[in-house]
Amino acid sequence: MSKLLHANFARLKQDTFFWIGTVFMIVLGILIPVTQYFEMKKYEWYTATLTNGFFIYVVFMAILSAVFCSLFTGTEYSDGTMRNKLITGHSRIDIYLANLIVSAAAVFILCFAYILAYLCSGIPLFGFFPKESLPVILGFMGCSFVLSVAITAICTAVAMLCQTKANTAVICILGIFILIFFGAYTDSQLGMPEYYDTYFMGDDGEASDAAPIPNPGYLRGTKREVFEFIHDFLPGNQVVQLSAMSATHLWKMSLYSALIAVSSTGLGVCLFWREDIK
Amino acid sequence: MEYVLTANALGKSYRHFQALNNLSMHIPKGAIYGFVGKNGSGKTTLIRLICGLQKPTAGSYTLYGIPNTEKEIQKTRGRIGAVVETPSLYLNMTAEDNLKEQYRILGIPSFQGIPGLLKLVGLENTGKKKARHFSLGMRQRLGIAIALCGSPDFLVLDEPINGLDPQGIIEIRELILKLNKERQITVLISSHILDELSRLATHYGFIDHGHIVKEISAAELENASRKCIRLEVSDIKTFARVAESLKLEYSVLSATHADVFTKITATGLIVPLAQEGCEVISVQEHDESLESYYVKLLGGNQYEQTFTC
Repeated sequence: MSKLLHANFARLKQDTFFWIGTVFMIVLGILIPVTQYFEMKKYEWYTATLTNGFFIYVVFMAILSAVFCSLFTGTEYSDGTMRNKLITGHSRIDIYLANLIVSAAAVFILCFAYILAYLCSGIPLFGFFPKESLPVILGFMGCSFVLSVAITAICTAVAMLCQTKANTAVICILGIFILIFFGAYTDSQLGMPEYYDTYFMGDDGEASDAAPIPNPGYLRGTKREVFEFIHDFLPGNQVVQLSAMSATHLWKMSLYSALIAVSSTGLGVCLFWREDIK
Repeated sequence: MEYVLTANALGKSYRHFQALNNLSMHIPKGAIYGFVGKNGSGKTTLIRLICGLQKPTAGSYTLYGIPNTEKEIQKTRGRIGAVVETPSLYLNMTAEDNLKEQYRILGIPSFQGIPGLLKLVGLENTGKKKARHFSLGMRQRLGIAIALCGSPDFLVLDEPINGLDPQGIIEIRELILKLNKERQITVLISSHILDELSRLATHYGFIDHGHIVKEISAAELENASRKCIRLEVSDIKTFARVAESLKLEYSVLSATHADVFTKITATGLIVPLAQEGCEVISVQEHDESLESYYVKLLGGNQYEQTFTC
């Protein structure tokens, strides 16, 4: 396995998309605090801190992870180099895990590129995070890293089992967008108010409060519980919650992500073990 | 005889398609084994099985005496170098980087052998040129160089000269012969180009419908091949009459050409023909080629009957 890791990391160093992705995350990390700072200067009512926009990277991490895994692992099939590893006697489990580890490491590097760039440009403009919010920030960051492993594990499984690079790219990229859009939909459904405030206009022309009207679209009972579970469980929903810093069940979400990572890797290894390689 | 690879009743099926059926083959150590068969006859499937890319659904095979069911087979595969179908190389890397990557995969710490390998396959001057800009022949040679990285004892080449220009074919042929003679590498080579294969192979295996029809050494093939005299005559009917009267075994090829298989002197044939007024335009000694042997073996009966009187 160490030989494969060594070979994969050497290939990562020469991977064009990885470097483009890293530069993109650095530029994003610099631009977000700078634009927020200028917004704050332009509109006096708008106040921003270092926390605003910090977790935007979770969305880009998910998308770049899908693109990176499909290209990095997909190349093994499109260029036929997967055969070189198998012919030389490496076990399929080692090949699978080496690809997963290197992909996860690459996604971590992309995240850290953003975080470092963000802090370097944001701290001089806004100062550091407030001391009391630091544990929360660290909790969100930890949760986002576990989530990145889960997304990488899913994309690696797709890339290892689908022997056509183009199909892998379509499945992974389309899949992650569908998951994120579904996350946004679930978030909006759960965020609906239970009651609408109502007002009535008196004879004297003045508006007065009336009894609130129940919202018919509000999710109640078992349906709400199912939606809440999905919202914490699915990676796309976690992306939405973490990027908006609205997550409340960080431990639960991290546990679900770990579960997804382990089960998708287990299933992927089993199926890859039986796969006929062309 | 010591065998590098033996296959015993090997089978491989994909859903409803039987790609290999009760296949048995034996590749002797030090041989250049020419693997001959039609498209879809199962050549590449067998190569995929022995390279560990796929698993057999029936039967077994041994590599250097190690059965494929043993765990040790994975380690034994380290003695194989292979180019299956297309050369497996990273297109965004140079020839040198591709070899370095393969060295890392094999766990070879020093890159000292790389310049020698590049020289061996004639790619020492490719510099920073990426593999995606290589010609087909260059890719094929780089594929062989990658296969040679771990100093294998057994080289498996699937259609290595497909699509190559004449110069490329000669270079690959010389490379294979060099590897076999100088490094004692056993080679399994599948090819459709029988004339080319006949210049290389020391042994042949003929496969049809996923089954080995015949295994034969080049020496045995030589002995089995029927030698004949090919005649060009002015009147084929007179020739046939004279040949019948001389009780010769012959085969009419066209209105002017015929093969005589019975051993006879040129004079013994030309004089009776001249007496009957049949002019002999040319006489050539003719050997049965690998191609005609292949045609005869794998459905060539119809072909022969068409031209034999």
